[in-house]
Amino acid sequence: MGEIRPPSEAPGAPAAEQREYISDDPRDIGWVKQNVPCQSACPAGTNVPVYIREIIERQYGRSYETNREANVLPGVLGRICSRPCESQCRHGWPGNGEPVAICHLKRVAADLKDAGHRITERLYSPTGKRVAIVGAGPAGVAAAHDLSLLGHDVVILEREELAGGMLRYGIPEFRLPRGTLDVELHNALRLGVQLRTGVEIGTAKGQTPLAALLHDYDAVLLATGCMAASPLPLQGEWEKRDPGKELADVEYGLDFLVQMHRGEKKRVGKRVAVVGAGFTALDCARVAARLGAEEVTIHIRTAEEYIPVTQEEIFEAKREGVRIKGLRTPVGLATDDKGRLTGIEFVQNRLGGWRAGGRRQAIPIEGSEFVEPCDTLIIAIGQQTVNDFLGTKLELDRWGNVRVGENGMTSQAGLFAAGDYVRGASTVVEAVGHGRHTARRIDAWLMHHERRRQVVRIVPVDKPLRERAFDFIPRQHMPTAPLAERMRGVGREVETGMDEQTAFEEAKRCYLCNLRYQIDIDRCIFCRACIEVAPRNCIKLVRGVEIGDDGAYGRLLETKEWNQVGAIWIDNNECIRCGQCYNACPVQCISISRCELTEVEV
Amino acid sequence: MAETAKSARHHVVVGSGVAGFQAAETLRERDPDSRITILTLSRLLFYKRYDLPKVFRGSRDWREFLVHPAEFYRDRRIGMRRASHVANVDSRRKVITLDHKEEIRFDTLLVASGGRAYLPEELAEFRPLMHNFGSYEDAITMAKALPERGHAIMLGGDMIGLDLARTLIDTQHRVTLVAGPHTFWPHEVGESERPALVATLEKMGIEVIEGADTGGIASIEQGARGFSARRVLFKDGTEIAGDVVMPFFGLMPSVEFMLGSGVDIERGLLVSPGLRTTDESIYAAGDVCQIWSDAERRYRFYYGWKNVRAMGDLAARNITGSSDPWVPAQDEKLHISGDGRIQSPFWEYE
Repeated sequence: MGEIRPPSEAPGAPAAEQREYISDDPRDIGWVKQNVPCQSACPAGTNVPVYIREIIERQYGRSYETNREANVLPGVLGRICSRPCESQCRHGWPGNGEPVAICHLKRVAADLKDAGHRITERLYSPTGKRVAIVGAGPAGVAAAHDLSLLGHDVVILEREELAGGMLRYGIPEFRLPRGTLDVELHNALRLGVQLRTGVEIGTAKGQTPLAALLHDYDAVLLATGCMAASPLPLQGEWEKRDPGKELADVEYGLDFLVQMHRGEKKRVGKRVAVVGAGFTALDCARVAARLGAEEVTIHIRTAEEYIPVTQEEIFEAKREGVRIKGLRTPVGLATDDKGRLTGIEFVQNRLGGWRAGGRRQAIPIEGSEFVEPCDTLIIAIGQQTVNDFLGTKLELDRWGNVRVGENGMTSQAGLFAAGDYVRGASTVVEAVGHGRHTARRIDAWLMHHERRRQVVRIVPVDKPLRERAFDFIPRQHMPTAPLAERMRGVGREVETGMDEQTAFEEAKRCYLCNLRYQIDIDRCIFCRACIEVAPRNCIKLVRGVEIGDDGAYGRLLETKEWNQVGAIWIDNNECIRCGQCYNACPVQCISISRCELTEVEV
Repeated sequence: MAETAKSARHHVVVGSGVAGFQAAETLRERDPDSRITILTLSRLLFYKRYDLPKVFRGSRDWREFLVHPAEFYRDRRIGMRRASHVANVDSRRKVITLDHKEEIRFDTLLVASGGRAYLPEELAEFRPLMHNFGSYEDAITMAKALPERGHAIMLGGDMIGLDLARTLIDTQHRVTLVAGPHTFWPHEVGESERPALVATLEKMGIEVIEGADTGGIASIEQGARGFSARRVLFKDGTEIAGDVVMPFFGLMPSVEFMLGSGVDIERGLLVSPGLRTTDESIYAAGDVCQIWSDAERRYRFYYGWKNVRAMGDLAARNITGSSDPWVPAQDEKLHISGDGRIQSPFWEYE
């Protein structure tokens, strides 16, 4: 922890006396990162409080654009995002209730904007630089969009017939309608990005060598994702064998979905078992239920509480008849004399400690093997990158993913990589965020300097934007299609979208954590009126505030001794922005300002 | 057995069912100087949930169901906080937060929150059209909705439901059971035993429809004015009409408030044979916990009044210094007696 300064050195004057201004003070940047947990948790850095506030104001188009500044696919991610923001939402902290439905509100912005909504883009003049991107998945598309805004000529080379990558070929239509995907992909690429589909990169005949791209373009970005299914490690007679190749009734989940979305007719048996704990496993199970399986079970190593999918997805899968069975690891397969699958042999697990990355360990229990009958097995335990198309040797990390430096570049000059291809199988929003980040690095490399930098825009706010009553609104639910209707095929979207009134109620729940409440201690008369009305322990008597190494505020040094009080300080970590203190202050020494991370030209 | 601990510790028990009540009683015996607080969602003091079918025999006064009057708790210095909804548990700080933001510190916590009726997710959208039977209030509501000689449609048919069905048949009501995999829950009934058990239900006067023969339930609807209040439509196009529809698909452990507490959860709270969770100050007993079975090499639930009571007692003993392992207090076999009646240890209670 760094130096300790008295709180009188709080940056800036009281907001009431200010105009809007831009700050590059690390304390302001640190304040936003600490106090707006949803935005900090979003890999794309979406300005969540601002877009939710715009929904309250019924400015859906503006809300959509606020989203689009960070993420070019708001309508897509408003449906299928893994929602790292919601698990950090202050409304979901202990004692505060449930998190705000941030993801559903993103979809609201996309759904309710005007049909003739005008997209705004900040275009740079042409640079004359050419960039090739391999892969039209979320990372590639996000990077292509940002690079084209920055004035570069961008070409995307895609192996499949259509753009979208995992979005199109890995996610079923009942979660992501293709119309929404097509429109947002089109909008992302319409600034002159050339999309060439059906192009395979490689060294074989008919393929385009990577070396040729490196020769023809100023920079090349690899964003080919993780498109190879991870094999299932089994024991005994199945050790080192691939049941996906040997048994007709065993498929890899990713291949199952990709083949279906390429137009192949897929079939499953009556009793389908899915092994895996991610969105792909859930998607495979829900597809199997729609294809007519009578019993669909998902088998996981730990417990439902620890699997990396949203509770809503789990609930909808269960509603469709899918059952989840926990604390088991597959160790073998049972087949009949004709080689048909008859069951999976599992070993019972107990829970162990925590693995790096926040997942639970599962520890097999010796001698606890049992067989679960099934006639179809779908393996969906993860995905891996494929590097055999490169035709050149790149440095890889221990997981076989290509290694990149801080500038986003691989071990070969001019060759960059982004998204799952670098980070291993992750989420769509992480891929989008990493695509954006890498686009910025490519731009800096091509132009020999950073062209944009992060600052905080601080805007005075003249009154509280929330009411205490908003804190008691329960989380609003996403309406869904009737069960009978959705199970008729894989194309009927399950979540039907919030209407305007429901969205308004949900948006009001947001604490608007980007509002900074401050007390001007020169004007404070220490009357304690604010402390009396505060609904939480959010206003504190302090003798100082620690300042972190990065310049951001740290721990408050509280005191109960009046002769040591340096200030009455609003602890923005505890504050739920209800405005009670502002309204109670007799000398109006409390100010409110809105602090937004933004970028300006260097 | 270790010596009984004597301290002024604060023992908090979440749940006022059989396990929670028994634990509080044992805690008081073994730790006379401690503070004991029971937090319960219920508005009533500990009452005989197993006696709830009696509402159809005319017992509708809540006082008839209480096991002990309020003085019992006062005399034993057991604090009973009714209508208290636990929002979450912070095991590190040893603090429970109630829904209204009140924080309660504890030295030891026993989670005996039991289970609530499980409703398969595919039927969740029809919840408003169904009647539960898990609490006194539910029982009274259901009794008011079911007219004399009325027709109850029972879905699933766990042992709680079948116990109610016995009373309904005795009291001249008509009962139709839509049977399925949850029929006879928590007993695990083999394919070979099932036909005889179903035939016995029919002999008791219960009309049984095998759910699988109908393709499953397509929807539940409100009947038109002048007709039966509810209709259950099946996927094969058939339907039945009745006055009430009641789901009996077994219990689902009430663990929501423990999510994020740091203790291990699968379906229930995972506990050692001594009923301790993965946090040394938190124990669990009753329908909410999955106990590690060395013999079966898995975590499993144990049901039944006697088992639940024994768990409450064991957890309290271990909280106060013992280190005894769990031993089931009743067998789990479902069988047909010589006089052709279904006999379940699940129905044996005092």
